[in-house]
Amino acid sequence: MAKTIKLNVNGKDYTVSINSEEMPLLWVLRDLIGLTGTKYGCGIEVCGACTVLMDGQPEHSCVVNATSAVGKKVVTIEGLSPDRSHPAQQAWIQNQVPQCGFCQSGMLMSVAGAMKAGHHGNEIMSEVKNLCVCGTYQRIKECVGSL
Amino acid sequence: MENTICKPDARLETEPKGVERRAFLTGGLSLAFLLPEVSRVAELQAATVPGQVNAWLNIAADGSVTLTVGASEMGQGSFSTLAQILAEELMVNYSRVRTVQGSPAMANPQPVGASLNTVGSSITRRNFWTMRDAGAAAREMLVTAAMNLKGDLTRANYTVADGVVRHSSGVTWTYGSLAGAASALPVPSNPPLVPDSQFRLIGRTQPRFDIPSKVDGSAVFGMDIRIPGMLYAIIKHGPTFGSTLKSPPRAPSGMQVVPTSVVAGTGRGTEVTGAVNAVAVVGPNTWDTWQAARRLSVSWKTPAAASSWNDAQFLTDGRALLNGGQPYQAGGANGPGTVFTVEGDAASAGAGLAASAKTVNAEYTLPYVAHATMEVLNCTVDYVAGNRCNIYAPTQNGRGVLSLAMQLTGLPESKIKVITTYLGGGLGRKAEQDFVSQAIQVAMAVGKPVKLMWPREEDFTRDQYRPMAVVGVSAGIDNSGNITGWKYRNVSPSILGQRGSNLGARGDSQGYEASQDLPYNIGARLTEWAWHPSPIPVGFWRSVGASINTFCVESMIDELAFAANQDPYLFRRSRLTDPRWISVLDAAADLSNWSASSPGRYRGIAIGAAFNSIVAQVVEVSSVTSSSLRVDRVWLAIDLYMPVNPGQIEAQMQGGIIHGLNAALYGQQTFSGGKAQATNFRNSRMIRANEAPQVAVRIMPAPASADRAANIGGAGELGVPTFAPALANAYFQATRTRRRSLPLFPGSRMGGL
Repeated sequence: MAKTIKLNVNGKDYTVSINSEEMPLLWVLRDLIGLTGTKYGCGIEVCGACTVLMDGQPEHSCVVNATSAVGKKVVTIEGLSPDRSHPAQQAWIQNQVPQCGFCQSGMLMSVAGAMKAGHHGNEIMSEVKNLCVCGTYQRIKECVGSL
Repeated sequence: MENTICKPDARLETEPKGVERRAFLTGGLSLAFLLPEVSRVAELQAATVPGQVNAWLNIAADGSVTLTVGASEMGQGSFSTLAQILAEELMVNYSRVRTVQGSPAMANPQPVGASLNTVGSSITRRNFWTMRDAGAAAREMLVTAAMNLKGDLTRANYTVADGVVRHSSGVTWTYGSLAGAASALPVPSNPPLVPDSQFRLIGRTQPRFDIPSKVDGSAVFGMDIRIPGMLYAIIKHGPTFGSTLKSPPRAPSGMQVVPTSVVAGTGRGTEVTGAVNAVAVVGPNTWDTWQAARRLSVSWKTPAAASSWNDAQFLTDGRALLNGGQPYQAGGANGPGTVFTVEGDAASAGAGLAASAKTVNAEYTLPYVAHATMEVLNCTVDYVAGNRCNIYAPTQNGRGVLSLAMQLTGLPESKIKVITTYLGGGLGRKAEQDFVSQAIQVAMAVGKPVKLMWPREEDFTRDQYRPMAVVGVSAGIDNSGNITGWKYRNVSPSILGQRGSNLGARGDSQGYEASQDLPYNIGARLTEWAWHPSPIPVGFWRSVGASINTFCVESMIDELAFAANQDPYLFRRSRLTDPRWISVLDAAADLSNWSASSPGRYRGIAIGAAFNSIVAQVVEVSSVTSSSLRVDRVWLAIDLYMPVNPGQIEAQMQGGIIHGLNAALYGQQTFSGGKAQATNFRNSRMIRANEAPQVAVRIMPAPASADRAANIGGAGELGVPTFAPALANAYFQATRTRRRSLPLFPGSRMGGL
């Protein structure tokens, strides 16, 4: 049965119709709302490519039901800053971190979440376990050291 | 390094650009030039004319410079590197060069802007001189236009800097103001190049154009394509390779099921050409469709032999060919089971071994390994019968996509557009066409735009894997540690054989590469490659045969050093015959301060070459147990002859080491009853940031003046091959146990986040 839910994503309200209560937030963001910056990598909460913030907390949108995001503020990579001005984004550009770039949305959202939680520098890395198959870890660590 | 290049146009444009590109012709200078294409298959077939691709340089009236180039961007950065080379010779500011993704074409020579087969770490090394010539030709045409305007035809009276031509009188012209006049001039055949000593860009780190779009979610990967009215297709293959559909299943409510067949040239191993090996469930969004695909009950006919497709059997079959097998016969069938001589001969190698004081015999084994790119296989097709077929693909081989689409749709080339998106990793897998052929078949069946996705489980279980290998090596040394004899036989499934190539007398070059022509002073050698009959589809996996052979060769060299009671670095050093190899080995040893030892830490070293580059690595490990170890530091030296963008070379080495590390510690796909066992990252572990070593890279300097005849080396795959042997050699130093089988820690699982 189709159900209509309201989500707040990056400060904007969206009304979407879902066919299944179990539909993960990831696919609502990507397929129904059209915010494709959040990525599918594994679907089983191992890789972290789908990481978004819900009320400031990093969540893995591939396993979070969209219905559980109702009433919360969801922030995706597209909403991290309007102009790539978030310090992590700036550091990523400065240090030329991304290779293929597919994991970096989730990586940056995990970093942003750790920063929101008050972590700095190397403490951030203990919160960031996202998988990067290209192996950009060293440059990420170098970036995070200055945040 | 510049802080940012925040250009909105760095985002991938997803609209076909053929029309717009033609519009460049008006009002500006457009220069067509040829870029050689590399095909790892075609290189071996003399009858095949190597494909050629045009890129298109455009200088618009406003002075902006656009380079349309077909290199697929999968994180290796060669898109930007080509722009960097061009900007050097054009004498323009690098930040003013804009790169646009080209599309493929079938004509030969191909029209401008067509795509390059992005394989073999080839884009920069194979296009370096062409890009320089093109940039220089355009620059000289612009200067000639200024000379004509000024009425002074003495070239020495003009200088160029940052896109401005200056006459000795002080008069200046911007490129933009000259472009129109320059476009009417003939293209000079031998334009003077910027002397190496005056390089402003080549050899210096420059930022990549695509990076800003990869930190804000705007970069468009294949998975991100959205077309109005688009449906979503989820692929579901039969349970084993070679399975075929018994009868079409009933479509779930509100959805369609489209059987897809194996198109000639896209299936490997036991996949049956023309047979249905998968169904695609087509629905309104990814999730609902995927759930329906999971629930869908499909009857498959599996090959009777599939029950015996398992790792123990594959190992047994491989071992049977270590000493047995049919010798290659000129004019014979020479199929699976054939042993090919790559170099040397058995008699002299046998005599060398017989004369040795000590002999080491070793069997090395390597598993199948999946590619597991971060972005799963996917492709979006917008097809209207008789009218158009637009294909949005994260592909390393756009021309292959075009050719396939023409074959499947019957449409002429003019009605097909291939739009290469960014690739969320390629690693060789996205040079294949199976997923593209499925997307085209589904779009043709449903009559609406369709995005087809392989769930991660399909991506892992239906890969075209790095081949397994069983490698037997016998080597002997005399009392001084000189290598007196060397017998090397690699038994592995054939990548090229599965693609229908005639292998020739030496066998599969993808199988034996990096096992032959070793610049070690080896008294007498025999190098062989034998065709393992395994039915599992195999393919090109970052660094391909070098990832296998460098492990075996450099492990054996280490074993000989130990047998000779000599230091592994010095043993290699005194037996290498190529001064460039020695310099690279010395550089890695120097970078690591090789002789320095830290308590509890152990080091291994290895050297090898691939794609014309030479790489040596020193790997340091600690906390070695039977189920884990820590890789603390890696030192790598590389000689590419002509390093263009050191920062990107370093990035590729850092990343290649992680790739090699994932494979060496954990990477393997196993089979039971014909079914692939690793289905997701949980049972195909890769490392996270906390396990990543600190990597230091030294790039050997470019020659004072580069020689056009010299081979330039690649970077993209070069971090991989020497990692595993250096790691295994470090493991030996730590434990005095020789690990001859990869991965070191099979069956290791990856925890959740």
